[in-house]
Amino acid sequence: MKHVWREINFLVRQRASVWAIALLAGLAALSVGLGLQEVARQKAAMSEVIALQKKDTAAIKVFATDAGDAAYYRFHPTWDPPSALAFAALGQRDIAPSTLRIRALALEGQIYENEAQNPELALPGRFDFAFVLIYLAPLVLVVLFYDLWSGEREAGRLSSLQAVPKAWVRIWLPRVAARFGLVSSVLVVVFWGGALISGAGIGDTIAFTALILALLGFWTLIATWVAKGAGSSPTNAAVLATIWFVITLIAPAGSNLVINAATPIPDGAAIMRENREAVHDAWDIDRDATLQRFYKLYPEYATSPPMQRPFEWKWYYAFQHLGDQQVEPLSTAYRAGIVEREARAGLVALALPPIAIQRALYRIAGTDMSAQWDYQDRIRAYHTQLRTYYYPFLFSAKPFTSADFDAAPAYAPR
Amino acid sequence: MRRAGLIARAELALMVRSRVALIGVVALLLLSTIAAATSQAHMAQERLSRLANQTQTDALFEAQPARHPHRMVHYGSYVFRPIGPLAGFDPGIDPFSGTTLYLEGHRQNSATISAVRENSSLMRFGQLTPAFVLQTLAPLLLIFLGFSMITRERGRGSLRLLLSSGVTAGDIIFGKTLALGSIGLVALVPAWLALFLMALAMPSEAGAAAMIGLGCGLYVLIWVVGIVAASALAQTGQGALLSLIGIWCFVAIVAPRGAAELASRLAPLDSRATTDLTIQAELRQLGDSHNPDDPFFAAFKARILAQHRVTKVEDLPFNFRGAVSAEGEALTSRLFDKYFVELATVQRTQSQIVSGLSILSPALAVRHVSMAGAGTDLETHLRFLQQSEAHRFAMVQYLNGLHRDKLNHADDAARSKDRAAEQRTRIAADNWAKVPDFVFKPTRAAERLSAALAPILTLSLWLGAMLVLAVWSRRVLEGRAL
Repeated sequence: MKHVWREINFLVRQRASVWAIALLAGLAALSVGLGLQEVARQKAAMSEVIALQKKDTAAIKVFATDAGDAAYYRFHPTWDPPSALAFAALGQRDIAPSTLRIRALALEGQIYENEAQNPELALPGRFDFAFVLIYLAPLVLVVLFYDLWSGEREAGRLSSLQAVPKAWVRIWLPRVAARFGLVSSVLVVVFWGGALISGAGIGDTIAFTALILALLGFWTLIATWVAKGAGSSPTNAAVLATIWFVITLIAPAGSNLVINAATPIPDGAAIMRENREAVHDAWDIDRDATLQRFYKLYPEYATSPPMQRPFEWKWYYAFQHLGDQQVEPLSTAYRAGIVEREARAGLVALALPPIAIQRALYRIAGTDMSAQWDYQDRIRAYHTQLRTYYYPFLFSAKPFTSADFDAAPAYAPR
Repeated sequence: MRRAGLIARAELALMVRSRVALIGVVALLLLSTIAAATSQAHMAQERLSRLANQTQTDALFEAQPARHPHRMVHYGSYVFRPIGPLAGFDPGIDPFSGTTLYLEGHRQNSATISAVRENSSLMRFGQLTPAFVLQTLAPLLLIFLGFSMITRERGRGSLRLLLSSGVTAGDIIFGKTLALGSIGLVALVPAWLALFLMALAMPSEAGAAAMIGLGCGLYVLIWVVGIVAASALAQTGQGALLSLIGIWCFVAIVAPRGAAELASRLAPLDSRATTDLTIQAELRQLGDSHNPDDPFFAAFKARILAQHRVTKVEDLPFNFRGAVSAEGEALTSRLFDKYFVELATVQRTQSQIVSGLSILSPALAVRHVSMAGAGTDLETHLRFLQQSEAHRFAMVQYLNGLHRDKLNHADDAARSKDRAAEQRTRIAADNWAKVPDFVFKPTRAAERLSAALAPILTLSLWLGAMLVLAVWSRRVLEGRAL
């Protein structure tokens, strides 16, 4: 251990190293601050929508006195609150809405809604802690490692250092450990500060910390391996920067091209359009046949009296649901295709540890694609809850009272 | 001048002999060729698919049977954002924004179906496009090939030898710039070739293509001159390399994300749900069509009755219900427009903040040039949204016009209860074909050129600054060698 302390002492006396580590610490702290602020903003936006929706619902209640009108005009908010670790890995939360208001109408026309953000800002990606860790920390390690051996060689000290008995244990390992230890403690401390402020759970925080150490460990191994080679200092720096560039930028971008070509998905626009066709065709086909198709799915309402008028709400909600049913295979295939792409990206990540680590960070923070699918699943389940809540009023002529309006199921976030 | 040429030739000969340099250049060429080919093919396919979707959607609309016109208002239509001819070079925001918009009455939907939500998360690491290769990868290669060009001469002592043999520091700097510049030129060839071929296929785009080509050229030149100057100024090769990698990391990796983060905080945007709810609340203040005693719609009714000198809506020469629909739609549409202007203003401000920060990073400036030139920037998307809304309004009001003029008021009022009346409120299917098709008017080439002018100017300023740095480094070089 005393060798490591000695090396840390040497290290903090080198101006370039101190600058690099201080810069990393500053950027990491900045990213954590920005992340915490962003999460607070997302939460505030959610509360705002929920509050505004309450007012909207109160205004609708005045005129929507029957179940059909209530289900038609009333939007119900759903939201996907950021997890306690979302601040450190904002992930994919910027490309999909984290609040979605839905109605008891066909869902396929509602669930693909987008957020109103500026695409030019989504293009480069977020400046979060995961970015600092995956992109910038490896470059700082490069700066600390590239001339570990070649620098001594170029100064003419290498052979005398190598001659020291147990040189690996007394010199090289302590040097490597000092560098790895300093960078990891800086990042871990900054991350822990953020985790403490946001009240993250101990288990997730430990898992996250382990991933931070794994990433820095991976790059420490690569950097040590290159640095102890025969190359000159500039060659080592260039080789390390190239490895970093290929792993973090070129390989993912290239793999994405291959994955997309190998995994075609159905046209998303076609799902929405087919849903619309199915829903609107109902106006021109036999109304009783539509109802009979619906009763096959919900036999408990089959005893509902036949339609007396050209328009009845029960028929309207029946064909809304049938419209969703009709495109279900397409919608399932669409989602399966995207999930398959993501799964193949997981295979690519097996060969590229930094990519795998970033995916794991997003997973723990609940900001990855599968978290978005989970949210969609919750929306779908809630939508079913919602429309089946209204069915008894529509099909069984159960009177719809003011209390029933208020008793409509509310969304429960995870 | 002749001496500078000799120095350049010697430097290039050295690079050719060093296999590492050769491999680097070949790898870059390979990557940019792959990027140009795949990006072009992908965007061409996407262009066709959107065109086919649009044709199919329009045909479906025209093929609808005889219906009540308000059914068609709810049936609505889809519009798909077309892709400009140069998008293959820089797809820009295209994969990051919704491409499909559902147009219906009473509502303004969001543009949905975007590539970023259909791709694996690997996409967020960057996309292999000609623009990406040139803006991010090429500078790094130039750094690797150029950082030691002058530090090496000094380290070996050959610098002093050269200077004492009558070669000036200016000759050395100019010669090394020529050598690294020719590598930069080689790196530019695939991108320029891709732009040239695109312009050939679509001559009206030649000006924009030339502008993008110029922007890329300036950007590469900024790096070439900057790297040579750094090599002249640095004490050691490794000092030059480390600072250049640091600068590259800031310019190409940190600045774009930082600028976006800053812009989203300086000009925050309301969530879509908030805006929708705000519009609904304001709409209720203006006029609530669900309230039979609403003052706005009561006044509208009184005005219409007075205009036609009748006392009952049944006596009007047209269907009053259609007129109410049209009035209601006009009301909501005005609010949509008002809030769209707000949204567009905030988003434009955000993008301006990012462009403003290009004085800190030329990568932001060159990205701006290529996205504006290729018509894949925010402006194109906002235009699409705006024109789609205008089309939506025109379509809905055309249908409301049919509702007002072609339907009998009594039938219309009874249609939910009376089967025969419901049949009579259906109007002939040939009315649907008369709705004009959506034709997207993209930013004209001239507009795109003028939008690209400011970032070109920024790039020129950057180049000027690098030239000043090079001149200064010549002085330093002369001073140090003595």
